[in-house]
Amino acid sequence: MSALDTRPTNCTADAGLKVESLRFAYNGTPVLLDINLAIGEGEFVCLLGPSGCGKTTLLRLLAGLETPSSGHLSWKGRPITGPSLERGVVFQDYSLFQWMTLVNNITLALAKSHPGKDRKWRLNLAAEFLELVGLADAARKHPFELSGGMQQRGAIARTLAMGSPVLLMDEPFGALDPVNRGRLQNLVLDVWSDANPRKTVVFVTHDIEESLHLADRVVMLGSSPGRIIDELRVPFARPRVWRTLIRSPEFLSLRERIAERFREDTLQRIEAESVVGGDAEGI
Amino acid sequence: MAKSPIIPSVSFPTASRLPAKKASKPSGIRRNSWWRLQGKEGVLFLLGIVLLWQFASSSIHFSGDYLFPSPAVTLKALWGSLPELLKDTWSSLLVLLPGYALAAVAGIVWGLVVGTIPWVSRMFSPFARFASPVPPTIYVPYAIAMLPTFRTAAGFVVFVGAFWPIFLNTAAGAASLPQRHRDNARILGLKPTEYLWRIVFPSSLPHIFSGMSVGLVFSFIMLTVAELFGASAGLGRFVQLYADYADYPRMVAGILYTGVVVMAAMELLEQIKRRSLFWIK
Repeated sequence: MSALDTRPTNCTADAGLKVESLRFAYNGTPVLLDINLAIGEGEFVCLLGPSGCGKTTLLRLLAGLETPSSGHLSWKGRPITGPSLERGVVFQDYSLFQWMTLVNNITLALAKSHPGKDRKWRLNLAAEFLELVGLADAARKHPFELSGGMQQRGAIARTLAMGSPVLLMDEPFGALDPVNRGRLQNLVLDVWSDANPRKTVVFVTHDIEESLHLADRVVMLGSSPGRIIDELRVPFARPRVWRTLIRSPEFLSLRERIAERFREDTLQRIEAESVVGGDAEGI
Repeated sequence: MAKSPIIPSVSFPTASRLPAKKASKPSGIRRNSWWRLQGKEGVLFLLGIVLLWQFASSSIHFSGDYLFPSPAVTLKALWGSLPELLKDTWSSLLVLLPGYALAAVAGIVWGLVVGTIPWVSRMFSPFARFASPVPPTIYVPYAIAMLPTFRTAAGFVVFVGAFWPIFLNTAAGAASLPQRHRDNARILGLKPTEYLWRIVFPSSLPHIFSGMSVGLVFSFIMLTVAELFGASAGLGRFVQLYADYADYPRMVAGILYTGVVVMAAMELLEQIKRRSLFWIK
């Protein structure tokens, strides 16, 4: 259990993203319970958990799209009170505006993130990032003319072009086929490791293999209500090559241990519920 | 590069070439060409209506044949009054277009605001629930009495008739803006005006267009009703005038002609809609 019981590394007081004793309830139902999390600058963290464990809610709280019921969120020591251009978000369902061309989607974002620059400069930068994600030829196309994978690459290009130091990704490849998913995982890893300084990435997924492929650290969330059940530092060296990675015994055993940890949590919850149920029958 | 004779044989059949090749193929089922025609059912049905009309007008006799003119008589009347009808169309459009355009602008802008800002919606919705179901025809006599000229009075009732459907649909469209667009706009930090114009407006366009086509029908209803009351020119007045003269062929021709004008206006709007909504698959 040495890998599994690694506690979060203590970051310097104000660095990175911080979540302290966070609670979030929706219409009185607790969604997230007592979340404490510190993510260092430049770190790649995956939030891993089953559907309905509140991982998306946690990401939306980090983005500033939701307000916590109690607790505290901060980036570099500044409290998060609302959405900010510092924290770019890529959603699962395609984030692009359908009525604008790909390049206009990006220049609209750039007009907000770089208000001092003129249109020509924005067009050049947009073209640069479209090239980076391999969409240079599709710049003048509308999202309906593009496949799901291409749209998602466009959304990534938009977020990268804005230059946000923090990247929040909510199951961005959840709706893609395995081939496209693999390609986009590599794309994200490439841009992340090439950028200087490195971006801080919080990546939400329910796919254990994906989290082991991408992350420095995997944070496991259990459901009803959502809470952190464990954390794991991913020991694999970078750059990671998927084909070698997936065959290595360390990868397989880590994958199994994470799956086992989720099974344990489910069992514990069922037991807890049946105890409550037993009491109720007694009454 | 010189043209090679090989190239045509290896090139793929293009979409435009493929059907041409099929059509040029000698076909033993020649009579099928008519049956393949798109929309032939509609043409046949219209033909049936005209035949029925002809049959009815020649076999049923009201008090004098003029009350129920045959297609041929009506067509002749239509041809004869075409110059007058064109003038009346122009006069009607001069009333309708400003009223409708004003209703579209006001309905869209106010609908976007009401559909987007909750407190404005809470403020305006009770009034809208009371005012929007009032049949706009009810305003006609009062508008004619209140407003200085017939044109302003008719323009006003056209505005009222078109405003509510456009406003209600736009507000519904704005209120049903998908969450992801709202989230993305918030992350980009768009200003309220930018948000309304660049996000909420295009996203609501399907609703806006359905409001505009209902509004267009309403504005024609309002226009002709107003003209029945007290116009000196216009399509509604044409029908009213010849009904008063008991010149029923001309009256029926006026009704048919008005139908064509409304249909043309609807078709124009439909074309604009198709061009604006190209991004919806």
